[in-house]
This record gives sequence, C-alpha cells and structure tokens, in this order.
Amino acid sequence: MFCLLYNHQKGPWDEYLILIVSMLLSVGLMTIYRLNESLGLKQLVWIAVGLGMFFAFYHVYIKVDKWDRFAYVYISLCAALYLVTLILGRNINGAVNWIVIGGFSFQPSELCKILFVFFLAAYFKNPDNLFLTKYIQDERLRILLNRALLMLVVYCNIGLLVLQRELGTALLLYSTFLVVLYVFSKDLKMFLINSAFIVPGVILGYFKFYHLRVRVDAWINPWADITDKGYQITQSLFAIASGGFFGTGIGMGRPDMVPAVSTDFIFSAICEEMGIFGGAAVVLLCMLFTYRGIKIVLGLKDRFKKVLGLGIVTMIGLQTFIIIGGVIKLIPLTGITLPFVSYGGSSLVTSFIALGILQVISNPRFDRVGGEADG
Amino acid sequence: MFEIILLLVKVVFTLVIYLFIFGVIRLIYLDIKSMSVSKTDNTGFYPYLKLINQREMLSFKVEENYTLKKSVTIGRNDKNDIVIKDPFISGIHAYIMVEDQSIRIKDMGSKNGTFVNGTRLNEGEIVSLKDGDNIKIGHVKFLFVSMGK
Repeated sequence: MFCLLYNHQKGPWDEYLILIVSMLLSVGLMTIYRLNESLGLKQLVWIAVGLGMFFAFYHVYIKVDKWDRFAYVYISLCAALYLVTLILGRNINGAVNWIVIGGFSFQPSELCKILFVFFLAAYFKNPDNLFLTKYIQDERLRILLNRALLMLVVYCNIGLLVLQRELGTALLLYSTFLVVLYVFSKDLKMFLINSAFIVPGVILGYFKFYHLRVRVDAWINPWADITDKGYQITQSLFAIASGGFFGTGIGMGRPDMVPAVSTDFIFSAICEEMGIFGGAAVVLLCMLFTYRGIKIVLGLKDRFKKVLGLGIVTMIGLQTFIIIGGVIKLIPLTGITLPFVSYGGSSLVTSFIALGILQVISNPRFDRVGGEADG
Repeated sequence: MFEIILLLVKVVFTLVIYLFIFGVIRLIYLDIKSMSVSKTDNTGFYPYLKLINQREMLSFKVEENYTLKKSVTIGRNDKNDIVIKDPFISGIHAYIMVEDQSIRIKDMGSKNGTFVNGTRLNEGEIVSLKDGDNIKIGHVKFLFVSMGK
C-alpha cells in the first residue's frame, strides 16, 4: 500500500528495500490498529512523518558531501542527547529515557543509534587515524591512543544507556560495534579484547543491577513466578501457542492479555492472530531486508559508506533478532522495538532515517572510491 | 458457516503475504542472475562489450562491461541474459552468438533497431563483429572488444 508513495521510475538504486519495508509496515499497522484504534491512527501519522524524513535524509545525504569529517560532531551530539535525557528524562515503562516536551514524548537514545553508526564509520574510514593525528608523530603510540579513545567513546555510550536502564539498545550497540570491528579492524586482538568484555560485564551487571537479574531469572524459568516476574513472557508464549498454524484470525484472539503488546511484544500478537505462518513471514521479511543490505554493502567502493551501510544493516537485523528472540524466550528479554512493525514514533522515524541513508548508499551514482582501498 | 469463512480468509491472507515474499525473492533472484553475466573479472581473456555512454546519464541500470563467454540475448525482458531496462529496447532485442572464433550479432526483430557502426541491421540479419565495432541498442552504445589484442 505504501508503494504508491514511492517513485515508480526505476532508478539505479535498490528497489527491494522499500518493498520489504512497506510489507512490514502494513502488517504492523494492521496489528496495531486492531489492538488499539487510536494508536493505529497515531502510527499512521508517524509513518507519514517517517516517510517525510526518509525523503528528507535521502536528499540531505546527497547534498552534504563530507559526512566522514564530522566525527567530533557525532560524539558531542550523542553526549548532548544523553545529558538532556539524564536531566529531563521521565520514567516511562521502567526506563528513564523519555523526554516529554509539550505532551509530545520521544526517546533520544533512538537517535543516538544512528549517530553511533556514523561515528564508527568515520573512525573506520581510515582505521586508527581519527584522533590526534597532528600532535603525535610516533605511529604505534598514535594507534594505541586511537584505539583506547575509540573504546572509551563506545563504552561511554553503552554505559550511559545501561544507566538509563535501556539494556536492549545497549546490547544492540555493543553487538553492532563487535560486528563492525570484526569486519573492518585489521587487528584480531582488538576484536578479541572487546568481545571478552561481555563476560565480566554480564556478571557484574547480574549482581549489581536488580532489573537485569529479574530479566535473567524470568528467562531461565518464567513459570516459577508466573504472576509477577514471568507474567509478560509467559503471556507472550501463551499467545504464540494459541495461534497455531493460521492463527485465530484478526480480531478473534486475545493478544491484549500480553503487557506492552503494541510495542515490544507485537510479534506475539502477530503470531496469535496471523498464526506461526504470519510470524515466520515477518522473520523472513527481516532476513530478506538484511540480505539486501549486505548485498548493497558488498558492492560499495567508498569505505566510509561501507562501514555506514554495514552498521545500519547489522543494527536493524540484530534489533529484530534481539526482540523476537526475547519474545519467544530464546534469549533474555530486553525491551526494544521491532523495526518498522512496532508502535513508536522515535523508533519508526529513526528506522526510516536509516533506510533513507541505506537507499542513497545503494545508488552507485553517488559512489566513489575513498578511504583505504582494502577491506 | 462462520468458522469456514474465517478459515478461508485466514488461509487467503497468509497466502497473500507469502505470494508477496515469493515475488520479492523472484526479483532478487533475477537481479543476481543478471549480475552473474556481467560481474566476471575475466575481461581480457574473453571478448566483452564495453559501455561507451556515461553511466550517470542513463536512468536505468547498466553495467560497465559485459563479458561474452557464451551466446547471450539482450533485451528489456527479465528472461534475457543481459537485461537493460531502457524503454527504447525491445523485449528480446538482439542475440549475440559466440562460437570458437567468430562472434556474430543478430537482430531479433526489435522495434528501434540494432546498429553496428551506424548501419541498421534488418530483422534476422546476422553480422559478424570485429574488434572496435560500435553497437547501438536503444540509448545504449557499446564498444565491442575481442580478445585478439
């Protein structure tokens, strides 16, 4: 249905991304409207805003040429957004990550995801040569300092997200960072050191933070405390199970029993009312999206765009994996949205911005050789 | 009665979603298939077609080089080996026959004609190509490069 808004003239850019996304949007909008009519109408408005942002960023990205020069801007913007959240943040649904301005609430951490990917791309355009290039002549020292600063920025980002109790996004940024590091860093040691951080991080988090412990306990055995801690996940499992192969039919099930069903748990609602075939279709669409994205990235010449594209694709792909895995009790549940399907303005707009950037990158007309040739 | 209708609607709905996914996968498959003809690195060992137009001036997808390992068809239709979505190119426009030593081009009855060095081929006419020949199909101009260099 949203294809109508798209330019029909076939250009040299990728035509499949928007097709896949429009199907995901249709399924999501249908489910949200069935769950709550006013939310459905709001979601429709957000989709319109998101499409506007999609086209806006498509053109802004082309107009501004030197995106790789703004590494410091990305860091400071990120820091400013976190600072604003820490001061003005409101606690909605257990996470202190909302800013409410005149009855209009939004989640700055969603924007930080995009800024984070841009920062990574600026760093890996010319690996280990971003900071202090003029002041330090010794190459080994410079590389070491650069890596230390990169890790500092990345772990500050993740740490601030954990402070806001936004574990899902923190996990998402961490895994995106690892993937980008694995693909683009020349040094395998750097990757191993960074991936080793997860073990003490998780152990420390488990014993230090109560809300993390609750999540893990509810994952290991939700049936032990079915009325309180395990309520959400068990209701989700009941909903998925009651769907069967073809579902109960839209409007015939009771997905409203699951808490937060229109945002994080929308996958359970889809599974209940459209059946496991509907759910598998959503997973399949997300896989196709990721596949298309990786295919675009493989064909690129400019290294900055390569990292940027890979970061965006991994982010959207992993986001889908983390939330669907959480909902079906494959991995511990962390609350993030299912991109393009869940209700949520900030999430939808951010996903559309990411899509817009991916769409420009996919156009070979704007691709030129830049950065280091290998990799 | 209601249950039967519900079941039917549900099945049809699931079918529609999967048909859509099937369509997308089919499009992607065709895209990859057209890539396997063009993206071989063997230029220099095999004769190939080199694009003369500036790619930026064309509003459709076309590769810089097309390697001619075996006989290929050129046209707008997705079934062709070399698919070029130029509106001035016919469904099946031309056929390039690759044999041991000779490479010949045949017009498959196209609307706007196939031109070799500026002369239009008649329908079904077969012309053998030599190094440096200009081939014009629709808006697209190719330079034919044979291996004998």
